[in-house]
Amino acid sequence: MGNRKTQILAIDAGGTMTDTFIIDDRGEFVVGKAQTTPGDESVGLLYSAEDALSLWNMKVEDAFPQLLTGVYSGTAMLNRLVSRKGRKVGLIVNRGLEDFHRMGRSIQSYLGYSYSDRLHINTHRYDPPLVPREWTRGVTERVDLFGNVVIPLYEQEVAPAVRELVAAGVEAIVISFLHSYKNPIHERRARDIVQETLDTLESDIPIFASVDYYPVRKETPRTNTTIIEAYAADPSRRTLELVNERVKEKGANFDIRVMASHGGTISIKANELARTLVSGPIGGVVGGRYLGQSLGLKNIVCSDIGGTSFDIALINQGDFSIDTSPDMARLVLSLPLVAMDSVGAGTGSFVRVDPYTKSIVLGPDSAGYRVGVCYPDGGLDTITVSDCHVVLGLINPNNFLGGQVKLDRQRAYDAVKAQLAAPLGLSVEAASFGVIELLEAQLRNYLESLVMGKGYSPTQFSCFSYGGGGPLHTAGYVKGLGFEDVLVPAWAAGFSAFGCGAADFEYRYDKTLDINVGYQATENVRADAAEALQGAWDELTEKVRDEFDKNGFASSAVQLRLNFRMQYQGQLNDLEIESPLAALSGATDWDKLADTFEDVYARVYARAARSPELGYTVTGAIVRGSVEIPKPKIPEEPYEGEIPNTAAFQGQRQVYWDGEFLMADIWEMEALKAGNRVRAFAVIESPATTFVIPPGFEAVLDTHRIFHLRQVSEGR
Amino acid sequence: MAKYDKATIEELIDGTIDFFQLKEMLSSFKDPGRFDTYLEILQERVPWEDRILLPYSLHLYVVQKSNGQRIIKCDCGHEFCEAHDNWKLHALIHVRETDEKLQVLYPELLAPDPQWQVIREYYCPGCASQLEVESVTPWYPVLHDFDPDIDGFYEEWLGRPVPQPSGKSR
Repeated sequence: MGNRKTQILAIDAGGTMTDTFIIDDRGEFVVGKAQTTPGDESVGLLYSAEDALSLWNMKVEDAFPQLLTGVYSGTAMLNRLVSRKGRKVGLIVNRGLEDFHRMGRSIQSYLGYSYSDRLHINTHRYDPPLVPREWTRGVTERVDLFGNVVIPLYEQEVAPAVRELVAAGVEAIVISFLHSYKNPIHERRARDIVQETLDTLESDIPIFASVDYYPVRKETPRTNTTIIEAYAADPSRRTLELVNERVKEKGANFDIRVMASHGGTISIKANELARTLVSGPIGGVVGGRYLGQSLGLKNIVCSDIGGTSFDIALINQGDFSIDTSPDMARLVLSLPLVAMDSVGAGTGSFVRVDPYTKSIVLGPDSAGYRVGVCYPDGGLDTITVSDCHVVLGLINPNNFLGGQVKLDRQRAYDAVKAQLAAPLGLSVEAASFGVIELLEAQLRNYLESLVMGKGYSPTQFSCFSYGGGGPLHTAGYVKGLGFEDVLVPAWAAGFSAFGCGAADFEYRYDKTLDINVGYQATENVRADAAEALQGAWDELTEKVRDEFDKNGFASSAVQLRLNFRMQYQGQLNDLEIESPLAALSGATDWDKLADTFEDVYARVYARAARSPELGYTVTGAIVRGSVEIPKPKIPEEPYEGEIPNTAAFQGQRQVYWDGEFLMADIWEMEALKAGNRVRAFAVIESPATTFVIPPGFEAVLDTHRIFHLRQVSEGR
Repeated sequence: MAKYDKATIEELIDGTIDFFQLKEMLSSFKDPGRFDTYLEILQERVPWEDRILLPYSLHLYVVQKSNGQRIIKCDCGHEFCEAHDNWKLHALIHVRETDEKLQVLYPELLAPDPQWQVIREYYCPGCASQLEVESVTPWYPVLHDFDPDIDGFYEEWLGRPVPQPSGKSR
């Protein structure tokens, strides 16, 4: 002990607790917890790191200088947004459209709701707008959707608007005009007049023009995102700087990076900080891609069960897909977000009996960190999925979170009896097992429909299962789906943090385009199209290089990837494709792009669905730039044979399974060695996760500390 | 199972309840004791003694007289009619069927054309509370829009017989 080679620091600063993950070169990690200190988050962070390192008998001063890199993700910005505690922002929009921001989109009245509440219109509600009407001013101008100036900018209206907003005490000004992504001239001119006016007023409040941040179509998402930049993101920059300074004071030799929605990490100095609003689940997808690259797997289904939700993402041909108009905090946004699907079912989901139909209902709400009735300090009355695990004997009540949290089996048993077993007329064990079966059936259906719905078959994919609750249910939700392989990393509970550590230092900028090229277009039209796309890439490349310049990376060190979004004219869905060429010039280069699109279209849909006779539309340009940074090592251990060491065997425990009590072998996950084969019926325990090998399955640990779960028979 | 105290249900009736608490109630299964709590609050608030069997609409209740008769009654105490009868036909009715009367409510070009649409307002003869407003074509009948099966509701939904008037058996 005390001589670990610490590699990666991943910080997750939540609203109440700050979690610190420190990963060593074997992929092993420690988790520390401390109360979040909202005034200066770096204080809580250091306590949390101390807590983590104490498990390895290390001090922050010894561990931090060894670290290769550190990634931060936090909910401070999200909390600022959700609790509407951001800056006072003034908004300048087109005259006559002053109400569009507060009207929002109707979907915003039910975002984040369960399916039943979405249908139940009485529950819908519009949150207060980020910018109230009295801090909104209209300025006359109009650019149409083709970018033509229809009404010139009435420049004389800008200065009075600014003076009124400043007099009202706003702390930032956002400008968002219709179609400014298409023709930015008015918005930029207005921005300059705002600056001049602020100068004469001797005010130094910041200005955010949507075109400088998110030059993409759809004014509500674009305006929301730009407002968030001013309202919540920019004010959080100081917090991040403090975290960075404090970590460096303790000997770290790197700049803290922040996890961003597009699946890369960015500097705390980044222009567009709002995209760090996201945290948590995308880390696992990034980690899945990285692990897939290392293992030579191209098609992966990433599945993550935590306490509150089941999150799935597909990695296809080595990359995840990006959703360009996601929602967060009940707002539609125009940020690129790693595409994920979530269902509100996790180990903390509440279990109830519908009083009218007498059927079991899971969730959609959950106990979160309060676990269930089995955790007396949680103060809960309603049973959760975890309570059922405890009743069945799948979770060891004395070894939950390594024994840090003591669970009360009798309490869970009594509650399940009163709330579930008695109303259904079942035994307590049978009712609990029914809950687990129902949950796993729901997850399995969801997983299957997601993969099939995208036109794939599970047999083309490997499935990664992680998250604190993943390995408990892996066998249940992959059963019968026929995945090529099912992988459970031994560090499943820390996989999201591992993924944050494995993320590229990458910026991604998007721009909306409308380049239409008809069927059999002339050479000139195709050459002009290539030129227009190249122009957009040049503009975005400049932005990417500027960002890396802030962290001292020369432009030669930046690896660029150029993407474009293309669709057949008149179709509704576009595809994001990496350009096969580093630069475009002329009609033949255009043809290569079109050919690439045809190939991708054929792969995603069907060859027969290709429709070149419709012509093509390029809807967007994307530039991704990254630089080399250290990544966590995938563990590598010598092969020790199939038979597990007796030291790993922890005895047997009675577990209820499908109608009877069985004796399950209990194994200690950390003590299993590469090559070990664990046969059913077994429960592999580690402090942060429990891995169940039910009848009909077996698991083999490979040399990278990843379990491969296999179905060996139909089971029982 | 959800259970709410009386103060919460009073806030719900008064519309002063916090939205997030309301949302949670809406999203949960209904608490089994809700009807009784609701009725108890309404009964406390009316100035008369007749037993409320069912809330009927805003201000109106189906009550049970001591002789067992079921009557639609306003919270001011005015008694409209027998429970199965159409109370609207016993109310004061104000029909806005001219441009002049409609334009009290709506600006000229946003008001309906009275040849096509009229507005009927129903008032309590006892306290002049507005009880109902209909926007209908001029010839439209005064519909009897709610004729509850009170016995069925008590026996099949609440699982108990309808309360009997004191001193009487069924």
